[in-house]
Amino acid sequence: MRMVLFIAIKDLRVLLSDKGNIFFVFGFPVMFALFFGAIFSGAGEGPSGMKIAVVDADKSEFSGNFISELESDEALKIITTSRDDAIEQVRKGKVAAAVIINEGFGGGFDALFNSEEPKLEIASDPSRRMESGYLQGFLAKAQFTTLSGKFTDRQWMKDQLGLWKNDMGSDNDLDPEQKELFFNFFDSFDTLLKDVNEENYMADFGGDILNFAQLDVNREQEGPTTSFQITFPQAMLWAILGCTATFAISIVKERANGTFARLRIGPIGRAHILGGKGLACFMTCAFIMCVLFTGAKTIFKMPVSNLSLFIPAALCTVLCFVGIMMFICTIGRTEQSAGGAGWAILMIMAMVGGGMVPLAFMPGWLRPFSNISPVKWGIFTLEGAIWRNFSLTEMISPCLVLLAIGVLFFLLGVFILTRQED
Amino acid sequence: MIKADSLNKQYGNIVAVDDVSFEVQKGETFGLLGPNGAGKTTAIKLLCGLLKPDAGTVTLDGKTNPGLIEVRLSLGVVPQTLAIYEELSAEENLRFFGRMYGLSGQKLKERVRDCLEIAGLSERSKERVSKYSGGMKRRLNMVCSLLHEPPILLLDEPTVGVDPQSRNLIFDTIEDIKKQGRTIIYTTHYMEEAQRLCKRVAILDHGRILDMDTVENLITKHGGPSHIEAEFEERPPDPGKIKPLIGDENIQFEGSRVRFQTDRPMESLAKLNSSGLRFRSLKIQTANLEDVFLNLTGRRLRD
Repeated sequence: MRMVLFIAIKDLRVLLSDKGNIFFVFGFPVMFALFFGAIFSGAGEGPSGMKIAVVDADKSEFSGNFISELESDEALKIITTSRDDAIEQVRKGKVAAAVIINEGFGGGFDALFNSEEPKLEIASDPSRRMESGYLQGFLAKAQFTTLSGKFTDRQWMKDQLGLWKNDMGSDNDLDPEQKELFFNFFDSFDTLLKDVNEENYMADFGGDILNFAQLDVNREQEGPTTSFQITFPQAMLWAILGCTATFAISIVKERANGTFARLRIGPIGRAHILGGKGLACFMTCAFIMCVLFTGAKTIFKMPVSNLSLFIPAALCTVLCFVGIMMFICTIGRTEQSAGGAGWAILMIMAMVGGGMVPLAFMPGWLRPFSNISPVKWGIFTLEGAIWRNFSLTEMISPCLVLLAIGVLFFLLGVFILTRQED
Repeated sequence: MIKADSLNKQYGNIVAVDDVSFEVQKGETFGLLGPNGAGKTTAIKLLCGLLKPDAGTVTLDGKTNPGLIEVRLSLGVVPQTLAIYEELSAEENLRFFGRMYGLSGQKLKERVRDCLEIAGLSERSKERVSKYSGGMKRRLNMVCSLLHEPPILLLDEPTVGVDPQSRNLIFDTIEDIKKQGRTIIYTTHYMEEAQRLCKRVAILDHGRILDMDTVENLITKHGGPSHIEAEFEERPPDPGKIKPLIGDENIQFEGSRVRFQTDRPMESLAKLNSSGLRFRSLKIQTANLEDVFLNLTGRRLRD
């Protein structure tokens, strides 16, 4: 066993000394997972939320508080800009709408309830009416929340009542009886503001005006919840394919260079040599699987439905391809021929098995053919543990298929290699 | 120590080794001399068990199965191809092969250091082999087989494509190994190497051994006469008197110069000298293994 380990360590050193190998085994799969994961998830736009441009022409304390209120809402992404730029961004579709806060917005009740001269404008594409309506709700909520802060200011409230009384007094069109009713209300309200204690006043006006509870109910998931659950199993398979090709080519290279013959002359059996090669391939595949899995879990928050089943799924997949590696190393006498033929076989396996295009997107007539590809079974078992919610019983069949393929190719490879060498 | 008995190996229609038999005694250096494609490498592969013979047997130190661990441990093979890992350093290569032969700890350290010294690679032991010159690689290729100090050494054209400096270093190493009393089989297509290093040589062509003997006996048997070209201080007054002294009917005279062939060059020259002729210059070309091969096959070694 020590000799197998020595050979494996030597092979790992040789592997790590070649930058090209490192890229194909480590770099390419990671790039694959990130690139396709980003494409399928629409990543790059950052957290979701309606993007709106806000123009603050009022520059008052009230407008400032209003904008802060909007910014605090996760459903919105606020950009403050000039009027022209805001309109231009709406025109180009870069933002869903523009909100223009006109001068006088912070001028109290009069400004807020003046329907003839609105202090708030929404600029949006007419074809995006739903988003515009959605936005109006957010604006109303923010306006009332900001206003509730003002209600707690007794002096501000008294000033506002004074302004209203003056306006009403100078309004000659209003029925005197109605005017009397309003004045009585204003006086009573004024008395209330003067006499009510702080605790009761704040209890009535200090809380949220639109206060509701959010109840999160997740829809029952039957498929993957993130695109990374699709792309990372694919990436893991690409990493394994890279290892398979690299180690198969390394055996061919050793045979061509004569180092393989030197090993055979040594006081070790053929089983040690092939075992060492297989172990090195297995260790590399297992390591890159761990790296990809950890990265997917920690950086991309990829949910895994059953971690304990992921381990046997990964082991069976790796063992299968170690067997395939042993076969591929027998199909060429030179690095070039083995590399070309080996990659061709692996690419076909990947194409048919969903390594490039996920099986779900493949035409129906092609899917049955995927059953002949070990890549399909590899992805299937990994997905079984990641998002397909396989039970242990469900996991056994694909794992056995992988092991059977691996053993078959391994024995075939050893048989051909022995014949070629003798 | 080593015995090859009626070895045969065929690749399709091509007979690589045809009824090859020889025996090498303990401590002897035995050469297999032949042109490219003569079957030397195949013979080495049969001896070390890399190939199974179609017929015949190999006996190494009394054992007929070269696959046995104790036989492999007693064997050091220097392959013709550079069987080293170019991605690793010389030290890493030696460490790996040392471990393969069961060396470890202080012993491994010492052997690696010694072998690096033998190969003249101590100062560049940590560099990747891919950065070495051809000669340095050849030297490393050789010492990788000496790590475990095997009593039997099979060297398959160890000097192919090396610079003169590396070649001399390899020769010196082999001379040292010979002095240690190890048994060596050395294959080459350079007759100078076989002549310098080997006590006995087998001339191999088209997979068959044409003859096998000590170098001197082979030259005596098949090398033909030595070629002598002498210039006298004065023109010989009577060339007719010289012919009987030399015993060569085809002697050529050209002024004060004379050319002739003889099996006993020193004896002939002594006779000429005693006849009163004084030499101004003398050129003796004795027969060598190249002549032996030419006379045996009608071709030169490098044809």
